[in-house]
Amino acid sequence: MWRSEIDGLRLRFHLAGINDQNFLMRDEETGTFWQQISGRAVSGPLAGRSLVLAPSDELSFALWKAEEPQGTVANDVAAYVPQYAPKNWDVRMRKAPTVLTYREQGMEPRDLVLGVQAFGSSRAFRYGPVLQQKLVMATVGMEPVMIAVGPDDESVRVFRRQIPGVAQVPQFYRVVGQGGAASLEQTVSSALFMDDTTGSGWNFQGCAVSGKSRGVCLERVEAIKDYWFDWRHYHPGTSVY
Amino acid sequence: MKTGMSGRAFLLCWALSIAVALGLLFYPIYVIRPFRAQGPKELLAALAVIRYRAAGMAVCVAGALAAAVWYWRRERRKMRRLGSALGILIVAGAAMLSRINIYELMFHPAGQPTFSPANETKLDGGEMVIAVKVGRSARAYPIRSMSYHHVVNDVLGGVPIVATY
Repeated sequence: MWRSEIDGLRLRFHLAGINDQNFLMRDEETGTFWQQISGRAVSGPLAGRSLVLAPSDELSFALWKAEEPQGTVANDVAAYVPQYAPKNWDVRMRKAPTVLTYREQGMEPRDLVLGVQAFGSSRAFRYGPVLQQKLVMATVGMEPVMIAVGPDDESVRVFRRQIPGVAQVPQFYRVVGQGGAASLEQTVSSALFMDDTTGSGWNFQGCAVSGKSRGVCLERVEAIKDYWFDWRHYHPGTSVY
Repeated sequence: MKTGMSGRAFLLCWALSIAVALGLLFYPIYVIRPFRAQGPKELLAALAVIRYRAAGMAVCVAGALAAAVWYWRRERRKMRRLGSALGILIVAGAAMLSRINIYELMFHPAGQPTFSPANETKLDGGEMVIAVKVGRSARAYPIRSMSYHHVVNDVLGGVPIVATY
């Protein structure tokens, strides 16, 4: 997800090709080609420039709707609905061939990872174990982070593990019993995890809903769900958690 | 009718126009195709071809046309005249085909997106969406449709964005 403005010029993009299985897009206004995953212009008048990231999440619709009841949803384009991916498309994609493999660090090309590029470092977290553990304390670069799975057991967010105004790096613990469809309705007001420093309860948006830190929010860290080969190709220095 | 040296010059111009036009058309298709690794220099070359090929095609069409006109003035045999005209057709055909974005033929663009309020949308709760928020404006793009269209140009909270997947 990118902001599509450069120097005040609004850019409108079209699908324009593929580069090592990550697609290229081209803007109408200047004819520049851009790499989708990096937002970087690779050829054309704006070559070398980069789009600004628009932070986004990959969430279940139910969770998103609970968090943003006033939000809007992009409609299907009726003419192309028959061509949209079937519901199990991600399972089928796991078997699709890749031209890049990067069988290293115990990874297979189409292993799903949560990729984090932040604090001057890249790190890939194996997606399956993240979902199983539901709360992961780790570091990216030298910064402590927390990876939290939402009450829907599907959505994942990453936060900087630092409570504003508190020097000590907290540990977080998932609140027992949170999760499932019933709690989605109260996802904004319910504590999904607690910290051991201030004793506050935090929701999936990373904001304290109870305790000493009530009203304070953790810093979000951008992360993407990606295939290992794609993440590794565009983040050659990445480590694997 | 002097066609010796001039005939060879015509053939060269005619053949070159066709070869260059077909090269301009097929080289990017060959390089930028799915399930093939693109080296960085190769990719840049293919993209440069795409960026400048309209001009290149115009030169090829002009070259084929000029060669054919020159040849028609000197050649009376019908089949040979047809052969020279074929060159124009091939080059013109390549020029027209090069205007087609084959990627958008495979994955049609979403065009101007439309939206529905969250509580009126009939998506399964478990269906995954890409969610973005700008200011107070929140929007979700279902991944099943995004994985087809790949690119959606939008404006959210007054900010132009492009949703990609």
